[in-house]
Amino acid sequence: MQAVAAQRLTFAGGTARVGKWIVLIFFFIFTFLPLIWLLISSFKTNLELQTNAFGLPAIWQFQNYVNAVQISSLPRLFLNSVIVSVCSTFLTLAVTSMAAFVFAREKFPLQQPLLNLILAGVLVPIIGLMAPYFRLVNSLGLYDSLVALILTYTGINLPISTFLMHGFMKTIPAELEEAAEIDGASFVQRFTKVVFPLSRVGLVTAGTFVFLFSWNEFIYALLLTSRTASRTLQLGIRFFVSQFFTDYTSMFAAIVLTIIPSIAVYVFLHEKIIKGLTSGALKG
Amino acid sequence: MRRVISTLIVLVLALVMTTSLMATGGSEMAEGEITLDFPTFWVGQDSKSGPIASLLETFNAMHEGEIRVLIEPNPSTDGYRDKLNTQLASGRAPDLFVFAPDPTTFQYYETDILMDFTDDLAGSWGDVFSGGQIAGATRNGRTKSVPYEVSIIPIWYNSDLFDQAGIDSFPVDLAEFQVAATALKDAGIVPTSQMTGGSNAWTSMLWFSHAAASLGGPGVWDLPLSDPIFTQAAEVLRSMYLDGNTTRDAVGGDAGVSGGHYMAGDTAMFINGPWYIGRIRGDAPEVHAATMLASIPQVGEYSGHQLGGPLSNLGAANTTSAARRDAVVTWMQFMTEPANVRMMSESSGALFGIKYELGADADPLQQEFVRVASEASFLVDHFASAYTVDVVAEFGQALAEMALGEFTPQEFIQALIDKDNE
Repeated sequence: MQAVAAQRLTFAGGTARVGKWIVLIFFFIFTFLPLIWLLISSFKTNLELQTNAFGLPAIWQFQNYVNAVQISSLPRLFLNSVIVSVCSTFLTLAVTSMAAFVFAREKFPLQQPLLNLILAGVLVPIIGLMAPYFRLVNSLGLYDSLVALILTYTGINLPISTFLMHGFMKTIPAELEEAAEIDGASFVQRFTKVVFPLSRVGLVTAGTFVFLFSWNEFIYALLLTSRTASRTLQLGIRFFVSQFFTDYTSMFAAIVLTIIPSIAVYVFLHEKIIKGLTSGALKG
Repeated sequence: MRRVISTLIVLVLALVMTTSLMATGGSEMAEGEITLDFPTFWVGQDSKSGPIASLLETFNAMHEGEIRVLIEPNPSTDGYRDKLNTQLASGRAPDLFVFAPDPTTFQYYETDILMDFTDDLAGSWGDVFSGGQIAGATRNGRTKSVPYEVSIIPIWYNSDLFDQAGIDSFPVDLAEFQVAATALKDAGIVPTSQMTGGSNAWTSMLWFSHAAASLGGPGVWDLPLSDPIFTQAAEVLRSMYLDGNTTRDAVGGDAGVSGGHYMAGDTAMFINGPWYIGRIRGDAPEVHAATMLASIPQVGEYSGHQLGGPLSNLGAANTTSAARRDAVVTWMQFMTEPANVRMMSESSGALFGIKYELGADADPLQQEFVRVASEASFLVDHFASAYTVDVVAEFGQALAEMALGEFTPQEFIQALIDKDNE
């Protein structure tokens, strides 16, 4: 009887393992196949891509990578994208974490209407703000600078980031702050020593959102800049799209080149990133 | 860890400040030199990027110390138009720019932010333009943009594939077209390239426009979509998707699909403008050598026409400075000098609304374009130039439904009418 039960358990365990591997392999293929396709396509000619999208190139076109670097000034644009994305993420989180702290933990007149007013910004399509942002940036003398993009991306992301941070900070128990207050913590210290460190998950969520937006944004980057020195990666990638012709394979090469640093950073630093995010999770 | 993060933040901020200063610093200018910014999408991989850069270098050398034109590279035509419309709406037009001659941009003729060239073009400068070009850039008697690039969009056909199928000449009417299509299919060749994808189903939209023009004549776009000729044109377009007359990936396919099949020698007929010459010459030289041009087989009362019209004009910001105005006009006159236009045309394959002749060693296909343009019974815009972006986007959606048998030609046209009425 026991042997039969053990056999069943072993069978069930084996089935579960097989099932687990099937799921893992499915998601591995689902995730990596497009990237592998992108990599192979970046070595094709455009005609090969259009006529035999899933085959191997007859001759591997390394020239596509030369085009990618030469035509789109990738290194400079990559650096600009890093600067803009990192700075707008830090700035947005700095502003919205403080705003969310006040809205979530304090009581003051017109609190809810003011919060609603800020959050209503989520509903405004950013394309509708092009003319006001353009005028504002010009009036401030910031046209064609990275600062213009950093401030604009921060402004655009304030509502959604405040929304996320406010929602997260509301869940932190008030007793923690009360205990800190009894220990003599000031208003600022309640934020910096208690609420901010405990909001790490919310910060990462909002930060990821802002970073991805800033990294991928195209239309404001085009609107507010005019020279390579102040432009970002998305504009460089579009240099392969002209009025009547798209050089897909060189564009793919440019995309591969821009992905490599991100993958490299993740491969070498992912343990530290995860450790950094999870450390202190049990605090309190 | 904290120290590392703090150091990183300081470093990034320092970089931002440095880079920002570099970005806004501008370039060195000679005293008294007029600098004109020229944002354009004729950069990067665009066929006109090389000739434009060359003309710019010549112009700046000719006017050293007096005028300098600086190109502001703008990738993506759509993004450029969004940016330009925002700048115009904000009352801050760029010094020089590529003016899209469409109903949206012509609205700015009503304002005073565009430079008015009416008086300049009334002089000898106006003589360099082909007939009707200045009139096409004039609204209410004022010409606030300079005519420049034009489009001619005939039917392309691969004469080698036609020979292979035993077809002697391009069909002149629908009956001959059916015979030719059958002969091509019997020889294992797909007759036409089509597509329902992209922002405007470009290739199929052009087939539809050609058919509609054959039915409705030069004033076809003045007719309401409810006119029966549009349903007839839709019926012609639907037949292109039936019985193996196009490739199986045409539904959902984009311009890469339709052009790719033609360049690969899979399809015998295709439609596009002269800007595609450079592409096909580089990627498919054999198909390039075999390509001939024609007008669509006669569908209705009219025949021998071509699709075409102004594609890009040149515009400039209005100014109160006489010196800046002179500098702008000098640049415009330089850009429209026949010798410079010829160089631009021969290098890029594009055609221009200026009187010039191609050299004998110009691309034979480009010379074919000039021939069909001169032989055309009339020129008419295509559907996408006559309707708003929403209706044009609906065209591809409804076409896919019609190609899949979900819509009849009447329902296809009704979908366009509904969108137009929204």
